[in-house]
Amino acid sequence: MKLELGNIFIHDIQFGDHSRVENGVIYINEEELRAHLLEDENIKSVSFDIAKPGESVRIMPVKDVIEPRVKAEGRGGIFPGVISKVDTVGSGRTNVLKGAAVVTTGTIVGFQEGIIDMSGPGADYTPFSKLYNLVVICEPVEGLKQHAHEKAVRFAGLKAATYLGRLAKDLEADEVESFETLSLIESFRQYPDLPRVAYVQMLQTQGLLHDTYVYGVDMKQSITTMLYPTETMDGAIISGNCVSACDKNTTYHHLNNPVVRDLYARHGKELNFVGMIITNENVYLADKERSSDWSAKLAEFLGVDGVIISQEGFGNPDTDLIMNCKKIEAKGIKTVIITDEYAGRDGASQSLADADISADAVVTGGNANMVVNLPPMEKVIGHVKLADTIAGGFDGSLQPDGSIVVELQAITGATNELGFNRLSAR
Amino acid sequence: MILITNNPKFQSVPEPRCDMEYIAGSYRDVLILVRDRIHQGHKLLSHPLSGSVKPNETPYKSILISKKTGSLDVDSLQIIEDSISTCDKFMQNPINYGHNNQDALLADFSEVDYGLIVAAIASASR
Repeated sequence: MKLELGNIFIHDIQFGDHSRVENGVIYINEEELRAHLLEDENIKSVSFDIAKPGESVRIMPVKDVIEPRVKAEGRGGIFPGVISKVDTVGSGRTNVLKGAAVVTTGTIVGFQEGIIDMSGPGADYTPFSKLYNLVVICEPVEGLKQHAHEKAVRFAGLKAATYLGRLAKDLEADEVESFETLSLIESFRQYPDLPRVAYVQMLQTQGLLHDTYVYGVDMKQSITTMLYPTETMDGAIISGNCVSACDKNTTYHHLNNPVVRDLYARHGKELNFVGMIITNENVYLADKERSSDWSAKLAEFLGVDGVIISQEGFGNPDTDLIMNCKKIEAKGIKTVIITDEYAGRDGASQSLADADISADAVVTGGNANMVVNLPPMEKVIGHVKLADTIAGGFDGSLQPDGSIVVELQAITGATNELGFNRLSAR
Repeated sequence: MILITNNPKFQSVPEPRCDMEYIAGSYRDVLILVRDRIHQGHKLLSHPLSGSVKPNETPYKSILISKKTGSLDVDSLQIIEDSISTCDKFMQNPINYGHNNQDALLADFSEVDYGLIVAAIASASR
C-alpha cells in the first residue's frame, strides 16, 4: 500500500467572503461553516476564533486538535466510517493543509481538558502553539448528557476539518512525501538482511470520555488487530478522548504519528518497517489479558525482531503496557516502550503504576506532575475560570494577574506518549 | 461478580445487575477494602486505576472483584498494592478545586466513574 502526502504550506488563516486556500492562506466563510456544524441538533451555537503562533492567546479547555486533509486521488475519504463512507484508506494521494489545525473547545466535564498557549513558556510545551488554529467553540443544547456532548463536539471538529480539507482537493502541493508498505513476503524479499520491526500502538479505550475509534468502530469492543501505517494518515484512527490533556493522543497526533514517520524514515536503511498492530486499553482485566495475548501473537506471526510500543494515558494503561512488553519479550522479540511519568512534583516518586524487568528500554515523554507557571495572556479563547478545575490545576491556580500555576498535565500534548514533543533532555 | 464502590450514583440506579458493596468512604478506603477482599481469596476483575482522572482529583472509585473465593491471587494483590502506592503518591498533593461549581464537578466525577465501570461490567457480561 502506497500513499503520497501532498503538503500545502499554510502561513495564515482569515475569515473571508468565500472559503478557499490561496497562496498559503486559508479564507473561511464563517456563516457557511457555522450552518454546516449547526446541522447537528445537539449543538445550540457555534462560534469561531483564530489563534496564530506567537500571539498572546490562551485556548482552553481544548478537546481535540485535527489537521485538515482531503483525499485527492485513490480509494475512500478522510475519517472513513465516520465522516466518509467505510472504505479502506491509506493509498493514492492525500492533500494536507500543513501548518493549520482545527481546535475544538467545550466544557464537557468540569475538569480535565487542556491548555494551548500560543506564546510564552507554555507554548514550548505544546506543539499546537506552532500552528494556525481555527478554534471551534461549541455550546450544546440544554441538558445534553456528557457522552452525547462529547460526540457532538467530536463530530463538529471532524466536520470543520473536513470542510477546510476539501478546499485543498485540487491544489498543487508545495511538497510531496511518499510512504509505502509492501506485503510481508515482498518486504522480507526486498530487505532480507535488515531487522524487521513492527509498531504496537495502544489506544485509549476505557469508556466514557476515554474512547478511540478505528474506521468508526469503538476500539474497546475490538480485539487487537493490524493496520497499514498509511491508513492512520487518512484518519483511520480518531480521538474521542477528553481526559488527560498532556498524554491523550489527539486526532492530529494520529494523523501525524511520529513513531510511524520515524520508522518510515529508517525503512530500507536501518530496518524493515513491516507494519502496525493496534490494541486497546480496557478497564476489565480479562480484556487486558486477551488484548496483550493478541499483540504478542500477532508480533510473533509477523516474524519481527523488534517492536516499539506506545502507550496512551495514565494509571491502568501502565498495566496494559507492561503486559504487552512482557508477553512480546517472552516471544524472543525485543521491545522499546514509550510512556510518560507521574513522578511527583519533585520527580522523585515511582513513575509508573506497574513495572517488569523486561521493560528495560524505555522512552519517556516527561514528568506530567512538573509545575509550570503560565503568565497571563491578552486574550483567552474558551473558559479561563476552568483553570482551577482542569487536571493539574489546584486551588488558586488562577492568579489575580491572570497567570496560571499548573502541573504540566494541564497542557495539551505536553508529555505525549508518541513522542510528539519539541522539548528534550540530554 | 461484586462491585465495591463509594460512588453515590450506584444507590439511585437500577444497574448493575451484580452484587454490590457500597461504602461511605474515600477513594483510598475503596482500594483498602478491595485489598482486604483479595487477601480473603477474591480476584480482582477490573483495574483499580480505571480512568485518567487522578486519585487526588476524583473522590469516587468503583472496582469489580470475583464473587468466588479461592487461594490468594498474587497478580490481583500486586495490582491493588501498586494502585494504593500510586494513590498515596498523588495524595501528597491533594487538589482542592477552587472553582465554585463543586456540585457540578462532583456529578461529573460520579458520571465518569460510573460510565467506566459500566463498560467493564458490559465486558464481563459478554
